[in-house]
Formats: sequence, structure tokens, C-alpha cells
Amino acid sequence: MTGPASLADPAPRAGAPAGSGAPAGSGAPARSGAPTLPAFARPRPRPRELVLLLAVLGAVLVGSLSLGLTRTGRLEPADPVGFALFAAGLLVAHLVLVLAGRRLDQVLLPATAFLAGIGLLLMERLPQGLVVQEVGSTTLGLGELQLVWLGLALVVATTIAVGLRSDRWLRLYKYTWAAAGLLLLLLTFVFGSEVNGSRLTIDLGPVSGQPSELLKVILVVFFAAYLAENRILLADARVRIAGPISVPPLPYLAPIGAMLALALGIVVVQRDLGAALLFYAVFLALLFLATGRLTDAVLGLILFVAGFLALAALFPHVQQRLAIWIDPWSDPLGAGYQLIQSLHAFARGGLVGTGLGAGLPETGGRLPVPAVHTDFPLAAIGEELGVAGVLAVLGGYLVIVERGLRIAASSRDDFRALLAAGLALVVGVQAAIIAGGNLRLIPLTGITLPFISYGGSSLLANALVIGLLLALSDRGPAPPGPPRPPRFARLRGRHGVGARGADGAAR
Amino acid sequence: MTDDWLTLLLWVVRLGFLLLLWIALGLMTRALLRDVRSAARNPAAALGRLVVVASAGRPAPGTVFPLDAVTTLGRDLGSSVVLDDPYASTNHAVLTFRGRAWYVEDLGSTNGTFVSGAPVTGIAVLGYGDEIQIGDVRLRLERGRA
Amino acid sequence: MMIRERPLAGRMIGLYLVVVLAFGAIAAGAGYWGVVRADELASSPNDAAVQAAARMATRGRILDRDGTVLARSRRTDDGTPYRVYVDDAVSTPVGYASSLYGAAGLERAYAAELTGQTGADPLSRVLAKFLPPADRRLDLRTSLSLDLQRLAVRLLGTDRGAVVMLDPRTGEVLTMASTPVYDASAVAAPATSKKAFARLQADDATPLLNRATLGRYVPGSVFKIVTAIAGLGSGSVTPATTYPEQPAAEEDGLLVDGYRVRDGHHPFTGSTALDLTGATEVSCNIWYALAGLDTGGANLDAFARRLGFEKPIPFDLPTAASQLTNGGGPMAGGFLDDVELANASYGQGEVLATPLQMALVAATVANGGELMEPRLATAFIDRDGRETTIGSHSLGRVLDASANAAIVRAMTQAVEGEYGRLFTDGAAVPGVTTAGKSGTAQIGGTGEPHSWFIGFAPAEAPTVAIAVLVENGGRGGDRAAPLAGRMLRAYFDRQP
Repeated sequence: MTGPASLADPAPRAGAPAGSGAPAGSGAPARSGAPTLPAFARPRPRPRELVLLLAVLGAVLVGSLSLGLTRTGRLEPADPVGFALFAAGLLVAHLVLVLAGRRLDQVLLPATAFLAGIGLLLMERLPQGLVVQEVGSTTLGLGELQLVWLGLALVVATTIAVGLRSDRWLRLYKYTWAAAGLLLLLLTFVFGSEVNGSRLTIDLGPVSGQPSELLKVILVVFFAAYLAENRILLADARVRIAGPISVPPLPYLAPIGAMLALALGIVVVQRDLGAALLFYAVFLALLFLATGRLTDAVLGLILFVAGFLALAALFPHVQQRLAIWIDPWSDPLGAGYQLIQSLHAFARGGLVGTGLGAGLPETGGRLPVPAVHTDFPLAAIGEELGVAGVLAVLGGYLVIVERGLRIAASSRDDFRALLAAGLALVVGVQAAIIAGGNLRLIPLTGITLPFISYGGSSLLANALVIGLLLALSDRGPAPPGPPRPPRFARLRGRHGVGARGADGAAR
Repeated sequence: MTDDWLTLLLWVVRLGFLLLLWIALGLMTRALLRDVRSAARNPAAALGRLVVVASAGRPAPGTVFPLDAVTTLGRDLGSSVVLDDPYASTNHAVLTFRGRAWYVEDLGSTNGTFVSGAPVTGIAVLGYGDEIQIGDVRLRLERGRA
Repeated sequence: MMIRERPLAGRMIGLYLVVVLAFGAIAAGAGYWGVVRADELASSPNDAAVQAAARMATRGRILDRDGTVLARSRRTDDGTPYRVYVDDAVSTPVGYASSLYGAAGLERAYAAELTGQTGADPLSRVLAKFLPPADRRLDLRTSLSLDLQRLAVRLLGTDRGAVVMLDPRTGEVLTMASTPVYDASAVAAPATSKKAFARLQADDATPLLNRATLGRYVPGSVFKIVTAIAGLGSGSVTPATTYPEQPAAEEDGLLVDGYRVRDGHHPFTGSTALDLTGATEVSCNIWYALAGLDTGGANLDAFARRLGFEKPIPFDLPTAASQLTNGGGPMAGGFLDDVELANASYGQGEVLATPLQMALVAATVANGGELMEPRLATAFIDRDGRETTIGSHSLGRVLDASANAAIVRAMTQAVEGEYGRLFTDGAAVPGVTTAGKSGTAQIGGTGEPHSWFIGFAPAEAPTVAIAVLVENGGRGGDRAAPLAGRMLRAYFDRQP
């Protein structure tokens, strides 16, 4: 926006400002004073957030009771300690936000807790042996691990929400971020371990994770920074190709195109089609936001379909995904198995579901859908909470997207607007991709359901998104009350500014 | 507890869970709608607007900035109004709306802030129609949309 | 004017609408699978919950048309349920239900009903959740007759083959035999399950294959009835159509595009030019080849499809699609050339048909030209004895009644006529006018031909139709026709 701005203050200027008859600088001694606005404001209550959090916690508690009752026949939470930790974590996060005193959004945290709570119940409900981790002398199962990750995610989100006060380092170092993101992907490529034929997981001794989750946040930051800087150019300096159809000047799309192509290419080679779809959809949406041209989005869509067909022609695994989508029943025990089981799970659930803990995943002894905790949590929700539960989950995502776009709409500059919109869309589009895949609306691609699926990478990356959105939602300091004489005098005494009425006179 | 009662209780709790989920979602939606309504009632910049009268670079003359109750001006990219002017300081000045009137406060800038030609020392009241000058950028405070 | 400062705000609304629409589509998808298609999927035998319950739960009984129990559940000493079947003879249609190997036959098709996985309407299913689990297992009444089923298996003996007998008016299948049969009780019993199933899978005679619905055979002359239906139905042929060149061609064969269609097994018709009835009575290949060429590939294909060819027949058990050609030929109907069409017209060429399909051809003629959907399940009976019957269902009219009557006359002549008896010896039921057509399907190589017979009785008002296939059974008149006659006699003996 301002180019490589030097952050140092300018040299003192000689002479009076143009058109001003006053003596230059004489009345204003140059000083490098501290900002007048305090770094930490007074605690500011967040009543709306508290009410919503309590409503969410109430629902999760009853959910836990439902699971407990189904399991033991006694009216008790399935995992009292887990619920207490979950509630305590959220309330502490709320308290931290109150103490920080920033005017941040009050719906994002409860909406996230809503989804995370459903996810936690689900992980407590699934066979705990699905994921097991030795920590010291204790062994943690699926539900406990999810709780640990949720705790870490909460720390990440709260820290960023409270601590991130300037977006300068995000917008200035966009190419650094881009490079870091690609490096991350390359690392996966080199050190990645293969799971289900896809190199998605990076495994460096104790540290393992799915870098594409983090990459999505980095890409949004890069897209937002680049598009904000070149927005006017991309929107106005159009290159006409045919009739009314025009495209942005291609050289200015080159850096972003290269970044996108590289990310997509690596992702495709790693067979992480879901991530590729997500990156591309969010990029298209941001490009549309930046240029305001529908033709860009439509052209992008055409390019996407063409690219997808090319991929299908080139890679048998893409072809197979397509074939499963078109007719999963052609190979019901092989390739189409998981998808068919997913559809059956929705069917068994019906309108209100079987109830938590009463669905099939447990009774069969083996899982009809092996990847239920990562790729198919919506199928489990469909089975145990029914269509009513699925719609509630979808509603939760819509709330988050609405909040994000609202934050974007009221942002004071393009970068913040594009960043907020991109972050909100990353969550919404990712949820839509995997939900649509589970329901056979679009070809199935392996990607997590944000905040609900098990997994550290996914939870932490999405916590990063929420943290950034919260920080971006900062509406700035509250309008101070009318300057009251005594306090104002106390604060500003040394400048000799007196009572309100005297302000004008003092000059 | 007999089986009948257990089954009944089970379903009361199960449906209660779904109901509470929807209540929580409904409360969130209500919060969203309230924001939509209040945004419609209080369009941004009801408090005032800052119009760029003259500048050497960005913001271009004619640009209008809606004002939040606290609006910071300076070269810092985090400022509400980013001034790309060689004579502007990183955190140059802040405009605050306090109760009824706008105040401008110089944040210790190198080259000073001027209101209608007069340098601001400390804090000064700002009337609608007044011009602020920072470096070569001149901005006029105007009333917000009625 | 404000838009100038926050230019992106307006576009956000559009973007949000797109997201809302996408989520709306997902919600619709959830509704589709979770409500609209829910009953169908959740009660499907492929459903994991149905399969799990089927493994654990006892099942309702399977009854024959007279109420004889064909399959019942027992429990081992430790309470594990298992299935017991009345006779090996019913293994083909009834199948088995095993905790290790899943289920087959009716046990698989109606697993949900037998194990009580289905409720009535969605609302009462929701309400049922609030009540203690009710015993919703259903008994399944079938149209099978245990007596006839046993007889069919006994008559097939050590041969591999199939018998399908059904009521042409309702589509109710009375007999569906496929040999060799197997001991379904041994597969179902926990103690013997593994050994029995392994033996069945290793058996070269493929006893687990339902030859009646899944076996596809060259039909030979029984297919001439399809050609007659297509010829009369399309108006290309009339009952009086004769071909002057036919008698001469009996000796040296009929030259079609350089290929000779041979016949020569009815020298006694001499120089008489045969009509439909005559040609059917003596099973004249040359008349039918000429009739098929007149009818044309497109008509033959269209009428064969109306009879159920080219796609799986809707039925309680899995069915294979019968075919007219291998498809892909340049001529109408997928034929390669006139030679293939001429050969197909008398059931050779690339024609393949299941015994069930050929039984339906006979049933269609028997039912005045209307094809009824074949079925085994006739009613569900709940624990309180309430019976819900399953109605019959027409698959459409194939042929109008007057044209159909000509085929009935021809088929009657083929069994009752002076010459016809030479080809269908033993098929006629004393005291009942029997109609039918035998077939001797040349299968190439040195193997004995497949022996076929399709027919129905009484010709005036048919109540039963039959198809018999004996693999490598020789001439149709030698093996299949007398077998069908025994079956028909037994059928009429049991009628009051």
C-alpha cells in the first residue's frame, strides 16, 4: 500500500506548512513520546460472549449426559473431568479477553466452542483406541488427545487475539510467508510419510503434522497482502481478450499465479486434492473480492474445471475419485466402501439420529467407516444426531463465516478486509468441501472438518484462523467519554489543557 | 429404574441435547441479526468523515475516510488513516470523539499537526469544516451522513 | 459514497450469499440421504447395521405358500441364534443366513424385515424410539411350494439345471430350483459353518450359483417364441405368413449372405410351405430365420427388451441380464449382419437367456400378452399375526391379445399336435390342454446341447407357466419336455 515505507520518523522539516501562516514547529517541540493510548486498556466485560459460551457449555453438558446415560444407564456425564477442563478452558479464555480490554468480536469464540464441543463429544464417543499416544507413563486415547489439542488451540487463539495489535508484520513480509509456506510443503515432500497413498504428514521425530493445514493460513495472508497492494491495478487496468470479457493484466497476476500453481502442484503430487480445491476456491473468492469482476471468478471456475479434467486424464487416482463419486456402488466393498458407509450412516440417523453412543460405530466391534474421526465426522454426526444435528453444525460454520465477512466488511483497509474474508472462507469452504464429499454432492477428498475432526495440525491451524479473525475484529479503543475536568486535567495537566469548556479558549 | 423409564429419560436427554444445540445456535444468530440491525441504524461514519483536500501522494485528494470514535493518523500501516507523506510521523496524531465534539491530539510528531494553520499542542477541539494539516496532506473534518 | 472508503463491503454480501447457498445445498444433501433415501438405505441388506443385527438377532420365519416353514431360527446352548432350513431343495431361493458369511437369497433380500429393522412410516419410527424396543421381526410368506420345489430338484437329479414355475397371472413363483442344491443349514449352523462354506466355494458345480436367475444359456428353439412375438407384434409377420422358398431350403439349407441356415430335421413336412403354427409345431429353423429377417433387428430387439432382455429383471433375488447380441454391431438392434440376425431368430447366434427370462416369455404368452413382475415374497406377517400382502405388479403389455392367441395356438400345436408330440414328448398333461416349445441349444464344441422347454397350461386359461433347462441334457424333447410334463402334472394334481 505504501511501498517499502521507512518506519523511522521523518527528519524535521524546515519552513511552515504550505498555506499556513503560523511559525513552523515552534509550538510543537519534537518529542518521541509514548503513545497516548495505553497499551492495555481497562478490563471490558463481554456479556454477550459469556451468555453464548454458557449456552454452548450447557448444550455440551447435556450431550455428555446423553452419552453417559447411553453407556452406563446412569445420568452422569460421559467424561466429567473432560467436560470440566473444556468448560474451564473456555471460561479462562473468556476472562483473558475481558482483561485484555480490546473491543473484539464476541460471537466467534462461542461459535468455535459450539463446533469444538460437538467434536469433543464425538471423539469421546468413538472407540478410544483409534488414536493412542503415550505421554510419560499414561496412555491417552482419542478423546483425551482431542482435549489436549483443544487446550493448545485455545491458547493459540487467545494469545493471537490478545497479543496481535498490528498487522504490519503480516502484510510487509508476505513473500517471506510465501517462501516459508512452500518450504513447509517441500519438507513434507521430502520427509513426508505416506498415509493412504498420500504424502500428507510430515514426520520429524517427535514433531509430526499436516503442513497443508498451516499452509492454508499462510496462503491467505499472502493472497490478501498481494491483492490489497495491487487491487486497483488488477481491477482497472484490464486486458480485453474478447468482447466484454477482460482479464486482469497478467504480469500482475504472475506472482500470485506462480504461488498458487506451485502450491497446487505440490499438493496435487502429494495427492492432497482437498487442500488443492480449498486453496483454489479461496483464491478465486479473494480475487473476486479484490477486483469486483464476476468474469474473473467465472474464468477462474472454467480454468478450474479444465484443470480438473486434465488432472483426471493424467492421474489415475483423480480418475478413481471421480468414478467413486459418480457411482460408488460399482465397487461397494473396495473403493466405494467408505462413501457408501457414510451415506448409510446418514440414512440410519434419519431426522434426530440414534442418540450419542447409540450408533453403529461401536456395536459392530469394527468401524464401518475407518476414517470417521478425521474425514467422516459429519457421517457420525448424521448417524447419532441426525439431520437436525448436521444442520446445527452447518449453522455453526455459517455463523463463523458471517462473523468473518462482517469483520472484513467493516475493516478499515483492503488488506485487513481481504485477510478477514479469506480466513473466514478458509473455514467455511473447507467445511463445505468435506461435508459435500461425505454426502456425495462433490467428489470425496480427504480433508478435515474444521474444529470437529481429530488432529493437532487441523485444530491448531484453525485456532490460528480464529485468533487472527478476533484480532482483526478489534474495533479500536472505545470512544472515550466526554473529557471531565478533574480527570482530564490530571491526565493532560502538563499540557495545561483545562476543562472542556476551556478547550477552545485555551488555544 | 425400569427399562421404560430409562428409555424415556434417554430420549428426553438426547432430544434435549439437540434442542440446546439449536438454542445456542439461535442465540448466536440473534447476536448476528442484532449487529446487522445496529449496523443499519448506525452507518459507519455517522460521527464524521475526513476528506482529503490536498496531498502529494496517497491518500489521493478526494478520498473520504469514515471516522471511528478513535481514529489514528500516521505512516504506520496499522493507522486508521495511513498517510504516505515524507513529513508524517509513524504515529502522528489521533482524532477522538468525546461525548459531543471531536478532538485532535498530536502524538509527539516530528513535524507537528496543524489545525486551521495553528499547531496543535497537546489536545485541541476540532470543529466541522476545520482543516488538519500533516506534512503536505490536508484533511477536512465533515459531518457524517445524517 | 461510503462505498468508496469500504469498497469491499458490498461484495462481502454477495460472497456470503454464495456460501449460504453452498451450505443450503449441503443441508439439502443431508436431508436427501437422511430423510428421503433413509428408509431405503437403512433397510437395505447392504447396511452395516442391518448386517450387524442380522448376525446377532433371531430372524422371522420364511414360509411357503401353504404355510409350511422353510426357515426358522434356533439358539445354541449359549444363546447364539442360528438358522435351520427345512430341505436342501429350497436352498436356491431361500439362501442362507450365517453369522460368518452373511446371507444369500431371500435371507439377504429381506434381512431388514426378517430381523425387524424396518418400521412403518418415518414418523412412527421416530416415535418408536421413545418406546422400549419392540419385537418387529416379520415372518415372510413366499409363493414357493415346497412340494413342487422338492419334485423339481428330484427330477433334475444329478444334472445341473434349473426349473422355474410361476403363475402367469400374478408373477408368483411356485418353483425356483437350481441344481446342484446345497445344505444351507450346514452353512448357517455355527459348528459346521466354516467347513461347509469352504466346501461349497471350492465345488466346481457352483451350487451357490442360482442358475435360474444368474445362469445365462443359449436358448435354442425356445427363443422362437420371442421371434414370433416380435414378428406378430410389429406386424411384419402374420399367423398365415408362409415362405415359398422354405420347403426347398430344407434340404440344402437357406443361404443368408453366404452362410447356410440348416434345418432338415422335419422331412415329413415335404414340400408344404409352413405357416406360424406349422413352423412352431415342427420347430422350423428356416421359417423362423426368414421371419426374423422380415421382422428386422430393431423390432426383435425392441420386443425382446419389452420381455425383459438386456437388463436385470426386477425380482427379489439378483438376476442377470439376458442378451440378444453382444452389442455394438452396426445393424439395428446391435446385430453384426443378417447372418447373426437369422441365427438369433431361432435362438442361436449370440443370444443368451436365463431360465427365469424364458419362463417370463412363456408366462407373457400365457397371460394374454401382458408381462407380470416375477416375485417370491407375497406377504409379511408380524408378531401379532397381522399380514401385510405384497401386491402383484405389471411390467407392461408386450403383445395384443389377438396376436397373442395365435402364438398360444402355435404353442398348443407344438405340444398337442401330431408332429409337435415328436418334439415335446411327455410334456402334455392328460386332461389339460398344454402349450409349449422345446429347445435344443447347440453350444458348440463337443458338448451335448442344453435341453430346454418352456410352456404353460391349460392353454384356454393358463394358471401356470414353466421353464426347464438341463445343462447338456440333449434334445429338448428327450429331457426337458418330460420333466416339465411331470412338474405340470404335479401342479394340477395338487389343485383341488
